[in-house]
Amino acid sequence: MERQIFVKKIKRLSALLLALAMCGGLFAGCGIAGQRTEGEAEGGSGHPGVLNVHIETNVQSLDPQEATDGTSFEVIANFTDGLTQPDADGQPVAALAERWETSEDQMTWTFHLRRGATWSATGSPVTAHDFVYAWQRAVDPEVACEYSYLFSDIGQIVNAAEVIAGTQDKSALGVEARDDYTLVVHLKAPVAYFLSLMYFPVFYPMEEAFLEQCGDAYGTSPETVQSNGAFVMAQYEPASTEFTLVKNEAYWDADRVQLQQLHYQLVQDSQQALLSYQAGDLDHIIISGDQMDQVAGDPEFSTCNAGYLWYLSVNISQVPALENLNLRLALANAIDRETMMVSVVKDGSQAAYFAVPDGLAVGPDGKDFRETAEDYSDVIGYDVKKAQAHLEAAKEELGVASFTFDIIVDDDAQPQQVAAYLQQQIESALPDVKINIVIKPKKQRVLDCQQGNFELALARWGPDYADPMTYLSMWKTGNNNNYGLWSNAAYDALLESATTGEAAADPQARWEALHQAEAIAVREMVIIPLYEKNNAMMTKGYVSGIEFHPVAIGRVYKNAAVV
Amino acid sequence: MKTYILKRVLISLTTLLVILLVLFTLLQLMPGSPFHDEKLTDAQRALLEAKYGLDQPVIVQFFRYVANMLQGDLGVSYSISKNTPITQLLQTRLPTSLRIGAQAILLGTAVGLLLGVVAALKHNSFWDTLCTAVSVLGVSVPSYVFALFLAYLCGFRLGWFPQLYQMAHPLLSSILPSAALSVFTIASVARFARGELLEVLGSDYMLLAASKGLPKPLLIVRHALRNALIPIVTVLAPLVVSLMTGSLVVEKIFAIPGVGSLMVQAIQSNDHSVTIALAFVYSALYIGIMLAVDILYGWIDPRIRLAKEDGRG
Repeated sequence: MERQIFVKKIKRLSALLLALAMCGGLFAGCGIAGQRTEGEAEGGSGHPGVLNVHIETNVQSLDPQEATDGTSFEVIANFTDGLTQPDADGQPVAALAERWETSEDQMTWTFHLRRGATWSATGSPVTAHDFVYAWQRAVDPEVACEYSYLFSDIGQIVNAAEVIAGTQDKSALGVEARDDYTLVVHLKAPVAYFLSLMYFPVFYPMEEAFLEQCGDAYGTSPETVQSNGAFVMAQYEPASTEFTLVKNEAYWDADRVQLQQLHYQLVQDSQQALLSYQAGDLDHIIISGDQMDQVAGDPEFSTCNAGYLWYLSVNISQVPALENLNLRLALANAIDRETMMVSVVKDGSQAAYFAVPDGLAVGPDGKDFRETAEDYSDVIGYDVKKAQAHLEAAKEELGVASFTFDIIVDDDAQPQQVAAYLQQQIESALPDVKINIVIKPKKQRVLDCQQGNFELALARWGPDYADPMTYLSMWKTGNNNNYGLWSNAAYDALLESATTGEAAADPQARWEALHQAEAIAVREMVIIPLYEKNNAMMTKGYVSGIEFHPVAIGRVYKNAAVV
Repeated sequence: MKTYILKRVLISLTTLLVILLVLFTLLQLMPGSPFHDEKLTDAQRALLEAKYGLDQPVIVQFFRYVANMLQGDLGVSYSISKNTPITQLLQTRLPTSLRIGAQAILLGTAVGLLLGVVAALKHNSFWDTLCTAVSVLGVSVPSYVFALFLAYLCGFRLGWFPQLYQMAHPLLSSILPSAALSVFTIASVARFARGELLEVLGSDYMLLAASKGLPKPLLIVRHALRNALIPIVTVLAPLVVSLMTGSLVVEKIFAIPGVGSLMVQAIQSNDHSVTIALAFVYSALYIGIMLAVDILYGWIDPRIRLAKEDGRG
């Protein structure tokens, strides 16, 4: 009996040793491999004319009037041109429209389309009728396009709101094809950013005959989608993990396009993406904050402005304590955003002390909105003493000794890390404030916010067009995204004046009004701004010319080259 | 036997219908619709819900869904791939997951059996210890660790196989994921095969068969192994389903266009129609495989079949 137990013990022990030995073997293998690949990665070279890029989410739709996500926008823009296109700095320049003019009151735009632009499948020319058809589709309640508000509230196109609401027929939309190559758009008010709006995919043209011929199958294969842009879809399946576009030889601007092939690869695991990049299978990848240490100092590493502003939404109207400005200021002053960027977010994002992000919009003076705006870092920046003073004032005003708030956050990695950091920062700076983190699926978090069912919420907003209004309009009384139901008459008046009022037609006055509006929003703490999201990425040395934009189209490959 | 199978098939179909109803009710109870995005207004959401018929009462939606399904229409995706028929989404994804899973099962069973048999025959030897070690490792280390390791070693460092799934080379691309997935199967099969075989080898009828002078290979394959298979089939059945329906993590690592990742994506983005369709396909597969297992039992062990045909056992 004893001998049996002994044998068993020996057996167990040897099994354990063996297991350990095998694990050791695994790690030894890794070490050697690591050394070898570093040498290989340095001297890589691409396939000339072929670019392999990484995406983190699949394409949801190739239909410009149905698509709503960044990946889809980017891919659609590869094969479709709008009236304008963004240049490297995001300024609108001529694309399908060769030139344009506005009426004196700036409420009528006439676009003259270039001749020689054609559709790839049917071979027919791109005409003003294709724009009229596409735009009517976008406001058609039957299509239920999610971005239809760019036509109504944002674009101020005549009758857009009525068509969307179903009280007018779509033919009443204020857009007409005067002839095949002249498109006339009627607005209800001057829109300063109208040209930059025109490169948003929802305004792209669609050939009626082709769409009808494809029916429901539109955009589900290379045969059911057609191009008037730099590239043509060569291989594609719905929600595919990889697909390929090739150069469109019939493109009106084909001389400028240097890439022969643009290959997309979906990789959700960021470590695998980096390995594939190092192995040379991918030429351009997005990396996560956790990988920053691995690529620090690498000349192939860079960041670009992703456009998103992350902020804490505060339920001002429904949570009595949060209605107190001192309390909101206390929370804002308790957060060390700079340290958060370095130790938590880590992807090159910038701390934000403003309501309108950097690099979004250029004013009539040719300068970025932020450059001429006030600096609010002393008002809402990190300062524990100030935070505590504000809290003491709030306690007195409210007659409450301690506070507990829930923060709702998305169940993604970065928001959770940020929320944990906020909790630690606020609780250590303000011992009388307790923060609970409540994690929710993103759709549920958005629903809770929209229904006012929250105290604090970690939320984000991405710009729809290159103008401060894309952020500032959120805090108007009654706006759908004004989760905290904040309301300020002076603020509303300034925005009203800049949209349809007297400042609308005067760019200088409008810009001034927007600066004033931002000052109110920040000083009244309608939200607690946290950071402006950047994308961290790696791009091989042999790749050049990829253009990055915070608005509408994330990456543009028209001028990219692989040597 | 025929009546038995027929009865089982009928029960299976009813079960499927009940599952569908439960799925429908559950998703109705889930908070939120597929259309909750920062950019959507209430009016716009109402338009979208009307477009997809989600504004109708649940019961209407259910019967319409069943009617469409009988015609092979599983509806369209709301967000993952807007307006794409789900049958089209499954057309390429389901076979990919099935193939990778089937390869993993075949590889896992073959290697596992071999290890188990060797361990049992060479009881208490070095080989037995090795087999035990492999089993412990295989069961306790999650498959994504193997997936990452294989991707690193055979994909990145040695370059034998593609590190990411390539649709142009489906077979070559599926080797690493199948191998990673098979480890758990290898381990469980080896463990059960060894244990069962040891028990069978020590039984009286084996002694009898051996004393009759049967050659050893025949003895092992026909008498010992066949009897040891029953518990193995029992372990394998649920494994088959979980492997064939695609592993989320392994699919994510190798960027495989399979159904596992689709299911998770559908749940996360409230793409209800895709969730229902996939859950339904999973249930159908599960029930189908359980049916196959029951029939297989009868073939392996005649005692089971007889007992059931009598209708009394």
